[in-house]
Amino acid sequence: MLTFAQEAASYETLDSNATAVICCGVTKEFGRGDGKSIALRGVDLDVAAGEMTLLVGPSGCGKTTLISIVAGLLDPTEGEIHVLGQDLRVLKGHKLVDFRGANLGFVFQQYNLLPALSAVENAAIPLIALGIKRREAIERAGELLNAVGLGSKLKAMPSQLSGGQQQRVAIARALGHEPKLLVCDEPTAALDAESGRVAMELLRKVAVQPGRAVIVVTHDNRIFDYGQTIVHMSDGRVVEVERGNA
Amino acid sequence: MSIPVTRIVLPTVAVMMLGFAVNHVASESRVETEPPPPATPPRAPFGLSVAATGIVEARSENIAIGSALPGIVAEVYVSSDRVGSRVAAGMPLFRVDDRHLKAQLAAHRATLRAQQAQLAKLEAMPRREEVPPIEAKVRAAESDLVLTSDALKRELSLRNRQVNTEENVVQRTTSRDGALHRLEQARAELALLRAGAWNADIEVARANVAQAQSVVDQDLVEIDRAIVRAPVDGDLLKVDVRPGEAVSTAPGKALVMLGDLKQLRIRVEIDEEDIPRFRANRAARACSRGDASQTRSLRFVRVEPYVVPKRSLAGETTERVDTRVLQVIYEFEDIRGGVHVGQQMDVYLDASTESQISE
Amino acid sequence: MGWVAIKMLAGDRTKFFGLIFGVSFAAFMMSQQVSVFIGIVRRSASQIVDVRDAPIWVMDSRIRHLDEVPGLPATDLTRVRSVPGVDWAVPFHKGQGLAKLANGESRSVVVMGLDDATLVGAPVEMLAGELADLHKPDAVIIDKAGYEYMWPSEAKSLAREGYRLNRTFEINDRRAIVVGVCRASSPFVTLPLLYTRFSQSSRYTPERNAMNFVLARAKPGENEQEVCRRIQEATGRLALTREQFFWKTIHYFLASTGIPVNFGITIALGFLVGVAIAGQTFYLFVVENLKQFGSLKAMGVRDSKIVGMVLLQGLVVGFAGYCIGVGLSAGFFTMTNTMTHLAGLYLRGEAMVGVAGAVAAIILFATFVSVRRLLVLEPAIVFRG
Repeated sequence: MLTFAQEAASYETLDSNATAVICCGVTKEFGRGDGKSIALRGVDLDVAAGEMTLLVGPSGCGKTTLISIVAGLLDPTEGEIHVLGQDLRVLKGHKLVDFRGANLGFVFQQYNLLPALSAVENAAIPLIALGIKRREAIERAGELLNAVGLGSKLKAMPSQLSGGQQQRVAIARALGHEPKLLVCDEPTAALDAESGRVAMELLRKVAVQPGRAVIVVTHDNRIFDYGQTIVHMSDGRVVEVERGNA
Repeated sequence: MSIPVTRIVLPTVAVMMLGFAVNHVASESRVETEPPPPATPPRAPFGLSVAATGIVEARSENIAIGSALPGIVAEVYVSSDRVGSRVAAGMPLFRVDDRHLKAQLAAHRATLRAQQAQLAKLEAMPRREEVPPIEAKVRAAESDLVLTSDALKRELSLRNRQVNTEENVVQRTTSRDGALHRLEQARAELALLRAGAWNADIEVARANVAQAQSVVDQDLVEIDRAIVRAPVDGDLLKVDVRPGEAVSTAPGKALVMLGDLKQLRIRVEIDEEDIPRFRANRAARACSRGDASQTRSLRFVRVEPYVVPKRSLAGETTERVDTRVLQVIYEFEDIRGGVHVGQQMDVYLDASTESQISE
Repeated sequence: MGWVAIKMLAGDRTKFFGLIFGVSFAAFMMSQQVSVFIGIVRRSASQIVDVRDAPIWVMDSRIRHLDEVPGLPATDLTRVRSVPGVDWAVPFHKGQGLAKLANGESRSVVVMGLDDATLVGAPVEMLAGELADLHKPDAVIIDKAGYEYMWPSEAKSLAREGYRLNRTFEINDRRAIVVGVCRASSPFVTLPLLYTRFSQSSRYTPERNAMNFVLARAKPGENEQEVCRRIQEATGRLALTREQFFWKTIHYFLASTGIPVNFGITIALGFLVGVAIAGQTFYLFVVENLKQFGSLKAMGVRDSKIVGMVLLQGLVVGFAGYCIGVGLSAGFFTMTNTMTHLAGLYLRGEAMVGVAGAVAAIILFATFVSVRRLLVLEPAIVFRG
């Protein structure tokens, strides 16, 4: 927690709306020879902190590959990528993992809650991964779940929750350690319209904070309104960036 | 739902089953105890010892008495009840049937008597009643001579007178000579009669008597041999004969066993491989089989100089062991009960070297 | 993160119990088979183990194992007694005879002749009768299994009616009277064991030299092996401590019978089944949870922790499975212990330890295979719906 606070403090000096992610000529190729496929063809992208950036485009356009690279889960074939002022290419192994654990939050399309853990335990995992004691982590996770309106479902198992509720647990989980960058992969794709709307409201209200960048990958045009910046991708390239939306 | 099963039931069951298994192993694979043997086996009492087995015997050694004559046992004077008691030398032990010998004796005695009578008869000659007729015969011859002599004298005087013939003279002379000879004959007969039996005849008769006597004596000895007597003073160790049993003179079977129990000895058999380690004139201890706690001190007596083939002490005649043993005789130092002649004992002989003894 | 790992594991009941079942089965099969194997092989030397009161065996030097015993000349007994350091020595006979029962049936029997005076080598535990009765004429003591083997029709009613003592049968045309029943380790071949006096045993099994062993003990303070060496030097016979003779016999049986191969196959099978079931299921379990592990990795859980979690899961499964497996094994032996022909077989400590190692190997193997999938896992998989 201390390291997290220190690191958070170091970023505090930046402009709250400073650029959180800088991609420069990012290219990603999978495979080799004839089986080679090119997912990204030189993406240049800046993501500003303090707002929600939507990454939209048809399936297979490279959205998921791009956020995987941004999140440090994939190495780019070429190009530079700086996240929160850190060149990801120099971070290797557990340092990268620790960086992710401290600074990034994730919301997945399938929520990826551990089915064997209760809601509050799921929400506490990133805190525990950071080294916070289990009891304290669970206490704070409980507060977070309160904040996302699931105060009554702390002990519920994921299987006992609806999709929307699970996604809210996932959002609480992603925010517990106050990451500087929140990466959401199709957060509403598995939800009905109402649940999707609640989730997006939640993201806009709780997630978007000064100094925190939120990247949402989606092809759900119902939620385009929630993003301040909308980045359109197609065939491995950024084709359009709409800023100052909504 | 899942919590009690996985968090409580399963670990409890697992730990209990492990405990059960550990307990099972612990109880089944208990360390085997090493109890002492049911009875203590004999132990070597000396630092270095030669172990051997021995048989207790009497000082006189064990005298196995057999029968001189084969036959059926007629009478046993020492019944098996009297085993262990003392017998004096010469005491009859048993008698073999001797009826045929006695019958023979009677016959031979009769012969003896006959021979004796014959001798007596010869010695009693001449028979008195036979003398007077011969004497009478002498006297008759004398008378006859007187008569014929007188007739001759007359004839001679007649011849001088030339009265008679020469023929008459010769006749009268021959007649007188005949009477003279008859008188000589009668006198010789009387002398023969008076002389009695011929000495040589008497000697023959005497020899016959002696022969018959010795046959009788022989019978008496035979009859006496049918009675088996103790040859020495001793204790009756074993009586293995009963009236009616047939006995032979073949060696090996002891009908009566005699021995002097005043001092017991033990005949120790030492394996030939152990002979080099055996030392004479050393102490030894013996213990009865089955009671190794009580050992008895032994005193060295002598070594039998001849190494004999080992004879099985277990009495197994089928057992043949091609090894030889040195027999050494030891004497029991104290006479306590509990040791019996013929008993097998485990014996330990002191075989310590001189240096060990001085220590 | 350990509790997370355990909750993950326990969360999938089917796989969890499947895993535990697999490991239990393997542990049960291996521990049971190893124990039976050890027990059976030990039976070949059980008469050696049963002689508790004499630790040194002297025998012909050409002997290969317990049941192949040429006789010794009677004087060897005194020669052994003469060896320095020997506390005592007594004769011992082991032979085979043919018993003729009253009903005309015949049984092969093992005849053990104990020194008449001391009864060294006598059975330790009597079930009926008195050991001292062995001094009676024609007396024999028979082992429990042998009694049931000789008179099988009575085996069922034994509990109710007890052993019938003083019954007679014949061996080699000599009368034998049962004066007692003892407990003895089962022999390798299930023949009745008859204990009798040495002098009598030679009548039951007429052999040239009745004594085929000399049992001895070293003086207190003497090294047994040193005394054995001295006996060998002095007599030219083979002198072994109980342990040495035991292993000599065991080694002979291991080397000259197909038993080790048979059991080896079964034990290997148990191991393979364990590897297959546990390894496979565990692998499947991990693969199924790849996404969750991926999420954890994305959320900043280090690889080492992930491996630790998987190892912990493996450990839990292994421990639970092992416990249940050996417990079942112990239960099996407890139940079969009352059956005469299985008596004396029990779960061996060495089997427990060995199986623990095997289970650890199974778990390590399963973990190793699964962890490889985790370590090469691209976290990007978590984004793919």
